[in-house]
Amino acid sequence: MSGQDWQDKLKSALKMDRRSFLKTTAVGSAAIAAGGLTLKPKEAQAFAYEPYPRDNDLTTVVTSCAHNCGSRHMLVAHKKGDVIVRLSTDDGRYQKGGEFGKDTFEEPQLRACLRGRSYRSRLYSQERLLYPMVRTGARGEGKFKRASWDAALDHVAGKMEELKSKYGPTALLDQSYAGASYGVLHKSDQIEGLLGRFLGMYGCRTSSWSVPSYEGTKFSSRITFGTIEDGNEDDTFAHAKLIIMWGWNPAYTFHGGNTFYYMRMAKQQGCKFVLVDPQYTDSASAYDAWWIPIRPNTDAAMMAGMVHHIFANNWQDQNFINKFTQGMDAGTMPDWAKDKENFRDYIFGKYDNTPKTPEWAAEICGVSADDIKKLAQLYATTKPAALKASWAPGRNAYGEQYNRMAAALQAMTGNIGILGGCAEGIGKAWHAEGVAYPYDEFANVFYESIKSDRWAHCVLNYPNVKREDIGLWPGGKAGDGVIPDIRGIFWQGSDWFNQLTNINKEIKAINKLDLVVCNDSTITPSGLYADVLLPVATHFERHDVALPWYKGHYYIHRPKVIEPLGESKTDFQIYTELAYRLGGEQFGKRYNPKANRDYFQHDDAVDNAYLQEWWEHKVMAHQHVEMSWEEFQKRGVYKFKLDRPHVAFQDNVEKGVPWPTASGKIEIFSGQLAQYDDWTKTAYGHEIPAIPKWIVPWEYLGDKEKTVKHPFHLISPHPRHRTHSIFNNVGWLRETYSQEVTINASDAKKLGIKTGDTVEVFNDRGKVVVPAYVTERCMPGVLVLHEGAWLDLDENGIDRSGNPDMLTLDEPSPAGSFAYNTVLANVQKTDLAHKPGWDQLSTARSHVFRRDL
Amino acid sequence: MANETLDKAKVKEAVQRRKKETYTPVIPVQQFGFVHNNVDCIGCRACEIACKDKNGLAPGPRFRRVMYVEGGTYPDVYAYKVNMSCNHCAEPACLPTCPTGAIFKRVKDGIVDIDSSLCIGCRRCEAACPFGAPQFIPDQNIVSKCNMCVDEIDAGRKPYCVQACMMRVLDIGPIDQLRAGTYPTKAVAPHEKVVRQVKSMANPELTNPSIVFVPHSKGIVEDKGAK
Ligand code: SF4
Ligand code: SF4
Ligand code: SF4
Repeated sequence: MSGQDWQDKLKSALKMDRRSFLKTTAVGSAAIAAGGLTLKPKEAQAFAYEPYPRDNDLTTVVTSCAHNCGSRHMLVAHKKGDVIVRLSTDDGRYQKGGEFGKDTFEEPQLRACLRGRSYRSRLYSQERLLYPMVRTGARGEGKFKRASWDAALDHVAGKMEELKSKYGPTALLDQSYAGASYGVLHKSDQIEGLLGRFLGMYGCRTSSWSVPSYEGTKFSSRITFGTIEDGNEDDTFAHAKLIIMWGWNPAYTFHGGNTFYYMRMAKQQGCKFVLVDPQYTDSASAYDAWWIPIRPNTDAAMMAGMVHHIFANNWQDQNFINKFTQGMDAGTMPDWAKDKENFRDYIFGKYDNTPKTPEWAAEICGVSADDIKKLAQLYATTKPAALKASWAPGRNAYGEQYNRMAAALQAMTGNIGILGGCAEGIGKAWHAEGVAYPYDEFANVFYESIKSDRWAHCVLNYPNVKREDIGLWPGGKAGDGVIPDIRGIFWQGSDWFNQLTNINKEIKAINKLDLVVCNDSTITPSGLYADVLLPVATHFERHDVALPWYKGHYYIHRPKVIEPLGESKTDFQIYTELAYRLGGEQFGKRYNPKANRDYFQHDDAVDNAYLQEWWEHKVMAHQHVEMSWEEFQKRGVYKFKLDRPHVAFQDNVEKGVPWPTASGKIEIFSGQLAQYDDWTKTAYGHEIPAIPKWIVPWEYLGDKEKTVKHPFHLISPHPRHRTHSIFNNVGWLRETYSQEVTINASDAKKLGIKTGDTVEVFNDRGKVVVPAYVTERCMPGVLVLHEGAWLDLDENGIDRSGNPDMLTLDEPSPAGSFAYNTVLANVQKTDLAHKPGWDQLSTARSHVFRRDL
Repeated sequence: MANETLDKAKVKEAVQRRKKETYTPVIPVQQFGFVHNNVDCIGCRACEIACKDKNGLAPGPRFRRVMYVEGGTYPDVYAYKVNMSCNHCAEPACLPTCPTGAIFKRVKDGIVDIDSSLCIGCRRCEAACPFGAPQFIPDQNIVSKCNMCVDEIDAGRKPYCVQACMMRVLDIGPIDQLRAGTYPTKAVAPHEKVVRQVKSMANPELTNPSIVFVPHSKGIVEDKGAK
């Protein structure tokens, strides 16, 4: 549209508007009425300053956000030429049968969160990587020079050959993760990722098996239910009469496109809410929840107290227990294990003379026995009730015990398999067709596999490492029990250097490596420690389809909205080209069967072919979809309408379908765990009891000795303004929320700390500098520091950004959960400087006000 | 830094004209206004970021501001959010203070906007507004603010912030209908009543702002009633 058209349109749009400055000071409006005016008022106009492009004048392209937040929302790009001018989101127009404003219970709009809405700032950021770069300074120093693709890839390929031949098939560590994932084609992931398949086929890969977010929870779901598909779709929350948010903050972390909104509907229907959490979160306030503050890492104890109270009052659903569970009590133990411990007898103290009464639990968890009883009664007598046992309390020492204890509560109250109840856990619900690239026998080949947070330990202590110290997965192709000789790391969709535990130990370890390669679209702290930076096209610059994460039943088309910036390429292009360089036609073609060598320059047709095949042979063939690939691309979104609300285990309960466990039951007593004799030969390395138990964590507020020096328990939940470390460089988000340590008001008073004061938080592992946020909303003795701030070390190795992983311990729980929330620390005022970001942007908080303190 | 695109002659002319004028309030055909549910808002600020992206603002100026309020003593605490941009007041305090007449109110829907080609960055409106709506844009030396996304309204849609709201607790509508509770909106649940003022907010008598809230129980002030 030409400038003139635009102005005409503007004029007609505003034609009702008359500026109302009347003209004479002397006679005022009377004179107008008399028609005595000569000077015609100049009209002020909206957008008069520039040809402001309106949405209707721009090209509209439907796409989605792309990171590992747990959800997946629509983004709509409004572009002019090859530039995205602004982003909007789902407004009901794009789906089949859609219209502006359509937003129904079955097909709600998929409205993006603040991170998605800020995406232009990340896309066009100063930290964007545009060219391959090769390190020239020391690791971490941040000195790089630009290289050609040819030179960079030759360097990587040469080093790979050298390391593989010298150190064998375990020399390269795969640290791909979900940071750039949740497309069906351009995947970064530990198991389904492009990197894993590339390194596995190449014949040199140590993989990382434990998932930082939820390994304890995953273990619990697998052991108890035999599956991680223990989740309901988010609309089912609207049917609950009671929702217990256990360490769950759906105002910050989203699973499913609209969980928080369906919960608002539940509230309007009279649903009651409870929050068990050391913080009074925004979820608590929005749902007007009863807040039960709890000491971190003591959840399993409180739950045991609840179980005791429910059994003691005979409120359990014994019918459900008898029919569907194994080992909840003596009567449900399998015949072969009658002599083993059962759950009910454990709770009543038969084996250790310690009945797990509410009073016993109160001592440990800091919640009064009365409140424990009250909650137990509320949960046992309200139906349907959703106890949502979130992942966060599972990111602890023995975090798996918390999730297993929660599953026992869910089962004993009969809240599994019913609408409005909840068996989560992991919470994976509707099954999406997830993989469009060749997922075959090469997809997840590994030569050894370790607990993801033990790589530094392994590198630093090699070869004096015991397999149980690193959680070696049995059956590696290099030979079971071989300690991997890690000499190089590959990062893809992963800023793990910044995100794994005990960063100071990682820094020592990384300096021993011979090759560190980082694929990313921006430079990150991990990138600073890499030898080669390969610039990766963002999801706006490559063709893909977005699928929701663990909940949500829809697909969003993700076309190449704009051409890749600079010289960036997709991960798939990079690994394909590397495959050709390392193994010629044979490896290249095997790795990417639909492509030829020119894929590095021309990827459109090949990517489309993979996606179309996926749509037609998986989505259309398996999921009763009739919409053609062409139409899907045109609309941009496909929303499924389900025949009935998706409730996990509904058929198991209603139709007697067995659970996918060995016994076919919900295994409170795990037959599998009861039968291990040598734990060192398992991936866990250390014993895990066959029934859920309270196990004392290695650091917590109940530890009288350790709390002398470090009297605070530090937890590091997800921030709302970052997806882990992604988006930390976005100024809009950093002015909206800042990295700060939350501290209870009475604790702060004792230490002379006020909101905004700069403090240092420290323990024997490290020290960080951050501003303090003093509040009554946090439990005394607890500090909260959100994960994901970008490491920014001063000359003494003190982190000025406030990254909590300077303080976490790289000691995973037996089941593999990262113990991110098992940290004792101390805090004090400081003269050291905090830096909110790598650039000089100051963080404005001018409009946050906190009254009434 | 100066506003480089400023046409000085044009501004001078506007100032001359302005001096000759008295201001008679615009009575719009229909006054649009905002509604925000202080309790159900999760404080996610998707609305804020959508606004910043729409208006191309750098970090600093914030047309829309989701303000966090909290109180009580551990463990008996409460929190809520008050979300405000410009209230497109019936009697805007900003408008008459403008020396160049850059601020105007649309008759059609009562939207108050600033013509930035006439703004000299004197920041008088910023000082006059009781709600902190006008935002100084340092690199352009102008003041700018929410214009209720007039372009979207004229295109038959709703503002970016409203369309962004994840919880569907922010909306616009004819303010008299919003006040009367007759306008269908997801922002207000069936049993809820709206108010013109909440605690810590400037007196609505000052400018008669076009906004209503579903208040938190701790945010209720004596409602002086709509005029
Ligand atoms: S809120 Fe402030 S800027 Fe907006 S119309 Fe009212 S007085 Fe003017
Ligand atoms: S109406 Fe538009 S300009 Fe005003 S606050 Fe909302 S998004 Fe910003
Ligand atoms: S988008 Fe909605 S829920 Fe989020 S802060 Fe704004 S008004 Fe509140």
